[in-house]
Amino acid sequence: MTKYQRVSGDAVEYEVFARKTRVEPLHQVGSVVAPDADLAMAYARATYDEERWCEMAIVRKDDVIHLWSPGEV
Amino acid sequence: MSLSDLVLSIADNKQMLGLRYAEWATRAPSLEADIAAAAMGLDDLGHSRVLYGCLEPLGADPRGPERESDPASLHNLAYFDDPWTQWSEFVAANAILDTAFTVMIEACVGGSAEVLQHRLRKMLMEERYHFLHGRSWLRSGIDSAPLNRAWQEAIEWFGPPDGDTAALHRQGKLSMGPGELRARLEEQLETKATHADIDWKQWDGVRRRGSQGAIDAHTFGMLRGLEEKKYAPPTAKPTPL
Repeated sequence: MTKYQRVSGDAVEYEVFARKTRVEPLHQVGSVVAPDADLAMAYARATYDEERWCEMAIVRKDDVIHLWSPGEV
Repeated sequence: MSLSDLVLSIADNKQMLGLRYAEWATRAPSLEADIAAAAMGLDDLGHSRVLYGCLEPLGADPRGPERESDPASLHNLAYFDDPWTQWSEFVAANAILDTAFTVMIEACVGGSAEVLQHRLRKMLMEERYHFLHGRSWLRSGIDSAPLNRAWQEAIEWFGPPDGDTAALHRQGKLSMGPGELRARLEEQLETKATHADIDWKQWDGVRRRGSQGAIDAHTFGMLRGLEEKKYAPPTAKPTPL
């Protein structure tokens, strides 16, 4: 896991998800690095607000649980 | 002071806040903070346009011709007179002054003027992100000098206990008076205002500030479009519309 140093201490990476309409699923649109969730929300909105969106969500990258890919030993 | 004068003060301050934010779009401590500074700058410049547009429907546009030539005729706080040189000045403005303006906008939306009820609501939604940004950076710790200055100017800007803001509150045009505005700001920031020693006799009720001065010449020239002329070729002539 990449460690990010910020003036306010260690920062973590958050994945950013968004969707344009209610009928489509959330898509991963990018990520931001911030020391806490409040700042990550502000950064996500500032960075990914260029396109129209009706829902945006962030998830700590550390909290994402990956499954084994097919055939992975 | 009328409600129009107060709205003009919010507009002028948001315009200057937006410009000062934008100046940090390539100087903030991280790329994310750069982008946030640019985005918040755009937001506040947009908010100022909406607020200026409310002056006529309110019935009395207090802007006079002196605004074209005299930077001291703008109703901005002294905090915005000069570009910020420290990131902590940005953070103090973001956390305290930006939130103070938002609290006043809440008071306008909760007041009796329909044009403000309708047009300012969207600003409150956008300002939630400014607040998160400012509060988070504030929690990380900043120098006390800009923090104390921002608190002082915010409380001055709300006005004296028995002044115009209190009168607008009594008339129902604002849903909060100076005391409620300060309490709301403290509640939002989860902290008490630093000690503010305000001499209300020295306070300028039109510009809502306790000190004289004005924005720097470069910024005023840019606002008036005068800086633009410096970059035009000598042979350039205005294009006919």
